[in-house]
Amino acid sequence: MKHLSLLRTSVVIAAGLVAMPAIAQQWPERPITLIAPAGAGGGTDATARLLALGLEQQLGQPVNVVNQGQGGGVVGFTSITTAEPDGYTLGVIYNFAHYSPMGQGDFDAADMTPIGQFNFDPAGFHVRADSEWTNITEALDAIKADPGAYDIACGGGCGGSWPLAFASLLDAYDVDLSQVRMITGQGAAAALQEMVAGGFDVVPSSVPEAGSLIEAGLVRGLAVFGSERLAAFPDIPTLEEETGMVLELGAWRGLVGPAGLPEDVTAKLVAALEAVYNDPEFQSAMTDRGFGLRWRDAEDFGAFMAEEEVSVRELVRVLGL
Amino acid sequence: MEVIGQAFLELLSPQVLLIMLGAGVYGLTMGAIPGLSASMAVALVIPIAFFLDPVPALAGVVTLAAMAIFAGDLPGALLRIPGTPASAAYVDDSYLMVRRGQGGLALGLCVICSAIGGVVGALVLMGAAPAIARIALQFSSYEKFWLACLGLTAAVAVSGGKWYKGGISLMLGLAIAQVGLDPVSGQMRLTFGSRELVGGLAFIPVLIGMFAIPEVLRYALAPREIAPPPIQALGNLLAGVGSTLRRLKGDLVQGSAVGVVIGAIPGAGADIAAYISYAISKRFSKVGDQYGKGVPDALVAPTTSNNAAVGGAMIPATVFGIPGDSLTAIIIGVFFLKGLNPGPTIFIENPLLINTVFMAFLIANILMVPLGLFATSVFQRMIRVPRYMLMPAVLAFCIIGAFAVENTHFAIVTMLVLGLVAFVMEKHQYPLAPAILGLVLGPMLEETFLNSLIRARGNIFAFVERPLSMGLAALTLVICVAPVAMFVWRKARGARSA
Repeated sequence: MKHLSLLRTSVVIAAGLVAMPAIAQQWPERPITLIAPAGAGGGTDATARLLALGLEQQLGQPVNVVNQGQGGGVVGFTSITTAEPDGYTLGVIYNFAHYSPMGQGDFDAADMTPIGQFNFDPAGFHVRADSEWTNITEALDAIKADPGAYDIACGGGCGGSWPLAFASLLDAYDVDLSQVRMITGQGAAAALQEMVAGGFDVVPSSVPEAGSLIEAGLVRGLAVFGSERLAAFPDIPTLEEETGMVLELGAWRGLVGPAGLPEDVTAKLVAALEAVYNDPEFQSAMTDRGFGLRWRDAEDFGAFMAEEEVSVRELVRVLGL
Repeated sequence: MEVIGQAFLELLSPQVLLIMLGAGVYGLTMGAIPGLSASMAVALVIPIAFFLDPVPALAGVVTLAAMAIFAGDLPGALLRIPGTPASAAYVDDSYLMVRRGQGGLALGLCVICSAIGGVVGALVLMGAAPAIARIALQFSSYEKFWLACLGLTAAVAVSGGKWYKGGISLMLGLAIAQVGLDPVSGQMRLTFGSRELVGGLAFIPVLIGMFAIPEVLRYALAPREIAPPPIQALGNLLAGVGSTLRRLKGDLVQGSAVGVVIGAIPGAGADIAAYISYAISKRFSKVGDQYGKGVPDALVAPTTSNNAAVGGAMIPATVFGIPGDSLTAIIIGVFFLKGLNPGPTIFIENPLLINTVFMAFLIANILMVPLGLFATSVFQRMIRVPRYMLMPAVLAFCIIGAFAVENTHFAIVTMLVLGLVAFVMEKHQYPLAPAILGLVLGPMLEETFLNSLIRARGNIFAFVERPLSMGLAALTLVICVAPVAMFVWRKARGARSA
C-alpha cells in the first residue's frame, strides 16, 4: 500500500507539472485526477470515492480522488477551475455560489464545464427535543416576531448549504434577515451536539446527520425542505405539507471539469456519469450511506448552477455575510 | 455477556484474523511514514472495505486506526518527526532517549503504554459507552473554551528553559494558527492577498517542517557522524519497561483516564489529550524539570493517553453518530457503508455486530504488542544507516509527506519555510513545543471564545454560569495560580525560619 500511495503522489505531481495539450482523440489514455474540495472522511469525499470507483469501470483508467479541503474548499475549487481543460482533472463540487460574493474565492459557474448532478440532500429543520416549538409554523412565526432572539447554527461557515437553505426559507417567510443571528462552527455534527448541550435553538442540516440524535430522543426534526418525505424518516413532514411553500433547498453535488473542456471529452464524461448514476450498485451505496439521489444532465445542471448563483448573491448581501 | 462471547467467536475465522493482521501491518506502515496520517490510511482502504463482509471490513478498519496512532511514535523517536500530531507532545523526550542509547526503553514504553491505553479505551467503550456519551454531550462551547485554556497551561510544561522564550514560541504558534479564513466571520487574515494562504498554513506540513528540517540543516552545516546506538534485541526492548511502569503506575492511570475523557468530547482529540496528560504528569513528577530532555517518566502518560483517546472518540461516534475527530468520522463512514448505523439503538438493533467491532478493537490493541515490537525492531535499523544517507532520505520523506497530506505544492513551501524558522528558533534556544501547542489549540480557543461571546450577547459571566464550565474554570485557575501561591508561601516560610 505504501508503494501505491507513492505512485498516487507521483502521478499527481506529474499531472501538475506536465502541461498537456488538449489531445482528446484517445481520451482517456492516462489516470484521471478527481478533486474533492473537502477533507478526507466527509460527505463530499465519500461520494467522490464512490463516483471514482464507478468512473474507473466506465472509462478504463484509474480515477484518483485528491482531497483539497483547505479554506473551506476554496483551494480545491480554485484547482478545479484553473486546471488545464484536458479532461484529466475533474472535480466533485457542491454549493459554491457564496464564496465569490463573500470575497473568499474568485470562481463562478462560468469557470466550469458542467457534466451532471448526481446527489441532492434536502435540509432539515432541527430543534432540541424539549423545544417549545412543535411544528415548523410555530417556529417560523416565533422567529419572525423576534428575529434576534434565537441562536441559529451555521454548521460550518455561514455561507454553506444548510445555513443558506435556512436563510432562503426565512426570506420566503418575510423574516427580517438582517436581524437573524447565525453562528459559525465546525460542521453540522458539532453544531447538533452543541444544540443538545443547550447552545443553539435551531440547527439546519441534512436529516441523516441528525438521525442518531433524533432516534435518541434528544433532537426533533420539524420539517424537511424537499418535495417529498425521506424514506428513512417518514415522520418528518415536508415544508409544503406544513406551510404550503414549495421550496427545494439543501446541498447538492455534481461532477464538473474546468471551463472549455473539449466537446468529445465532455460527451464521453456525460455518458460515463449517467451510466454510473444508473448502476444499482452505485445507487444502493449512496442510499446506504444516507445520500439522496438526484439526476440533472449537463444542460440542466449548468442552468441550475447559474440560477443558484443569482439567488445566493442576493442572500449573502441581505444577510450581511 | 453472552453477546460478547458470540462476538468473540465471530472474529475467530481465518479470514477475519488475516484481514486484521494485514490491516495492522498496513496501519503501522502508514502511521510510521510522516505525513501519511491515520485518517488518510483509513480513507484509502474504503474502496476495499466496500467489497468485504461487514465483520472483516469493520474489524480491519478499527485495527488499522489503532495501529496507525501508535506507529506515529516511531518516526518521532527515531527521526524526531512525529508521525501523527498525537505524538508531538513527547517527541523530544523519546528522540533524545534514543540518541542517548536508551532507545530500547523509549520504544518499549511507547508500545506497551499505547497498548494499555488502547485496551482501557476499548474496555470503557464496551462497558460504559452510553453513560459516558451522555456526559460528553453536555459540553457546550463554554466548556470547550475552558478545556482549551486548560490545554494552554500545558505550554509551561512543554517549554523548559527560559519562560519568556516559551511564551514567545507559544505566541508564534497562535499567530500561525490565525493565518487564513477567520473561523467565525470568514474574513481573510494575514494572507497578504495570496490565494494559497486562504486555507491557512496546513498543520501537518508545519509539524513535519518544524521538527525534521532543523535536524537536516544542522547536519548539512556540520556533517558529522554520530556513533549509532546499538540495536536492542526484541527481549531487551522490554527490559526496563516493567520496572519503569511499576514506578509510574499513577501516570498509566492518569493517561488512560484523561485520554478516554478528552477523546469522548467532540472537538478535542488524541493530540490535545496527549498534551494535557504530559502537563499533568510533569506537574506531579519528581523529575519534572527533566521533562523535554529525554526522561522515561515524560513518555508514559501522553503515549497512553493518545491511544486511550481513540477508544474515547468512538463513544459519542457510535452512540450519537457524532465523531470526535476526523479519524473517527471516516470510521463512522465505513460503519454506515456496512449497514451499521450509529445511534443509541445500535446496541439493541445490532448488538452482535457492534460488540464484534468493539471486541476487534480490543484485540487490535493487544495485537499491538507483538506487531509493534516487530515494527520497532525493523525501524531501529533505520538509525544504523549513515547520516549522510539518512538525512537526504529524511528530507525527501518530508517533501513527500507534506505534499501527500495536502495535495498542494504550497504545502512543501510551508514545510520548508517553517523548518527554517524552527532552525533559527532552536539555534537561539527557543523551544518548539509551545508553538505546536499554540497551533493545535489556537483555532479551538478562538472559535469557542468568540462563538460563546456572540451567543451570550457579550456577557462575559456566561463563561462561568453553567456548573460544568464553572468547574473547569476553577480547575484552570487553580493550575495557573497554585505555583505562584506555593512560591510565595515557601518564600514566606523561608523568611520566617531564617
